[in-house]
Amino acid sequence: MDTLLNVAHGFGVALLPINLLYCFIGVFIGTLVGVLPGIGPISAMSLLLPVTLSGTPESGIIMMAGIYYGSMYGGSTTSILVNIPGEAASVVTCIDGHQMAKQGRAGPALGISAFGSFIAGTFALVALMLVAPKLASIAIAFGPAEYFSLMVLGLVVLTFLTQGSMPKALLMACIGVVLGLIGLDSITAQPRLTFGRMELIDGIGLVPVVMGLFGVAEVLLNTEQAIRRDIINAKITQLLPNKEDWQASAGPVARGTLLGFLLGILPGGGAVVASFASYALEKRLSKTPERFGHGAIEGVAGPESANNAAAGGAFIPLMTLGIPPNVVMALLLGAFVIHGLQPGPLLITQNPGLFWGIVASMYIGNVMLLILNLPMIGMWVQLLKLPYNILFPLIILFTILGVYCSSNNVFDVYVMIAFGIIGYFMRKLGYEPAPLVLAFVLGPMLENNLRKSLILSQGDLWTFVQRPISAACLTLALVLLIAPLLPSLRKKRELVALDEGA
Amino acid sequence: MTNQTNVKLRLNNSELWGGLIGLALGGFVIWQGLKLKLGTINDPGSGYVLFYTGILMCVFAGSIIISAITEGGPTLASRWENVRWSKPLLVIACLAVFSFALEPLGFLLSSIPLLLLLLRLIDPVRWTLAIPIAVLVPSGMWWVLKRLLLIQLPSGLFGIG
Repeated sequence: MDTLLNVAHGFGVALLPINLLYCFIGVFIGTLVGVLPGIGPISAMSLLLPVTLSGTPESGIIMMAGIYYGSMYGGSTTSILVNIPGEAASVVTCIDGHQMAKQGRAGPALGISAFGSFIAGTFALVALMLVAPKLASIAIAFGPAEYFSLMVLGLVVLTFLTQGSMPKALLMACIGVVLGLIGLDSITAQPRLTFGRMELIDGIGLVPVVMGLFGVAEVLLNTEQAIRRDIINAKITQLLPNKEDWQASAGPVARGTLLGFLLGILPGGGAVVASFASYALEKRLSKTPERFGHGAIEGVAGPESANNAAAGGAFIPLMTLGIPPNVVMALLLGAFVIHGLQPGPLLITQNPGLFWGIVASMYIGNVMLLILNLPMIGMWVQLLKLPYNILFPLIILFTILGVYCSSNNVFDVYVMIAFGIIGYFMRKLGYEPAPLVLAFVLGPMLENNLRKSLILSQGDLWTFVQRPISAACLTLALVLLIAPLLPSLRKKRELVALDEGA
Repeated sequence: MTNQTNVKLRLNNSELWGGLIGLALGGFVIWQGLKLKLGTINDPGSGYVLFYTGILMCVFAGSIIISAITEGGPTLASRWENVRWSKPLLVIACLAVFSFALEPLGFLLSSIPLLLLLLRLIDPVRWTLAIPIAVLVPSGMWWVLKRLLLIQLPSGLFGIG
């Protein structure tokens, strides 16, 4: 009963005209960046982070969340019609989705992708509604040791799942922690790594770092190659899947939803891992696995449902523990912090309007996305023809303006340009920026909780293993760190490794 | 990655250079941690986490260097093989010049040439389209930010913008 009352309260917030507008802007931009290859939700969210400053926290966060789950919908359109994933979570959809389009079945592929996404997104929201308050009540008992160990686990899982060698990902995570510690020490107020520059006293801002690493670096990488597009030009008809399509897709949608939701909750996991795992699962369960890769609708329905369910599930650790499980959620955490809010176990009780408003807005956003992605599919297809030689220079200009407006400080523009150049060379040398950004956000919290636990336990390191949750997290982190040393596990890791930056 | 180095200790091995940069950064972080004082385990100081993170950085960088020496790795040149490497270089040069010009020239006088250069350098847009975009987009953005949102953009020595 309480949940229903809370949901009603949430709808009261989400249905305010201004919040509806922000929700629409969010899902529209999300679909847009999902459709356009080369620009992912991370770049778009980092670009729009400063915009959230202008409205209420609810509006800003509703918009940012909309971009994330909206991009999951839009990504499939490009994968199916152009064979280029609009964002990383839609890579798998290319395999069977584009084959279906080539066989003249683009409509059912787009249809099942949108319906699967809708079903999974809605399930994830119901689960979020039921699980989050319970987890939050448990999380109140968490001490600094548990928080420290959970953050270590999150970072290790992300480095484990990042493409390329694990030492490189771990090195990136360490650099992220160091960058996060620049500025005044929160305990002793001593300036650290500021080199006498006043601009660094408050530390480096998240916005210039992320915009540089993901926005500018992405453009630099994209300019290296002329983007070729093989757009399906045939008119898209019959978007509604037929009875056979539904029968074939029901199982994959259900399994993809469950799997995606569970993988979304795990720290370091997310939509990309979920879509790959769902594809592998469907192929393994299929009686005719040879159809996969040649236009099997199950290969579209499963991964598309999984990535949307994962996008919903990823909100749980952020909202209940205050720990972002992936880079996108780290950006959302940035949006909370910009508004002076700290997500965590007390958020739901202290700010029920915000929490339930965001949840309710996601219901509304999912309906908006279904309308945006089915009847209006023609518009997105037209958009795929937008010339990149105009788009990329504009993105650079918008990142410069976005960074400047977030702080009114030219220094941040320099920081963004520097990180853009560093990010480009990092990617060229095979160093992924995702662990760096997550560690950059978690670094100060990680240090704070480590020092607090050491002070509280009077220097007793056993405190981290005597507490069961902390011990479990550290054990799992250790297993993942050792895993790549075993050849069989290393192979498995390479199979699921992901490119978060895409 | 293609073009693996056959000779283990070739200096143009990109993995080796990546590891060495990581090692240097790790060393620097350790030194900064020590400078800030480590404190004790009962009461960790400002440099405590920095120091141990620096050690971890050196360990991971060391592991990258060892694997570069024992397994080889792609050469630096191979990382830019079959791509239009000059394009990102030109964009970087434009951004570097822009960062120096932004404060003295102001937003409008620095962003219009930047946009024009980018439009012509990446995949050349014809002049008749590039010039209007380069002038109208920054001016439009400036107008929206300054007049509607009351955000002060840098106006430079000439006070334009």
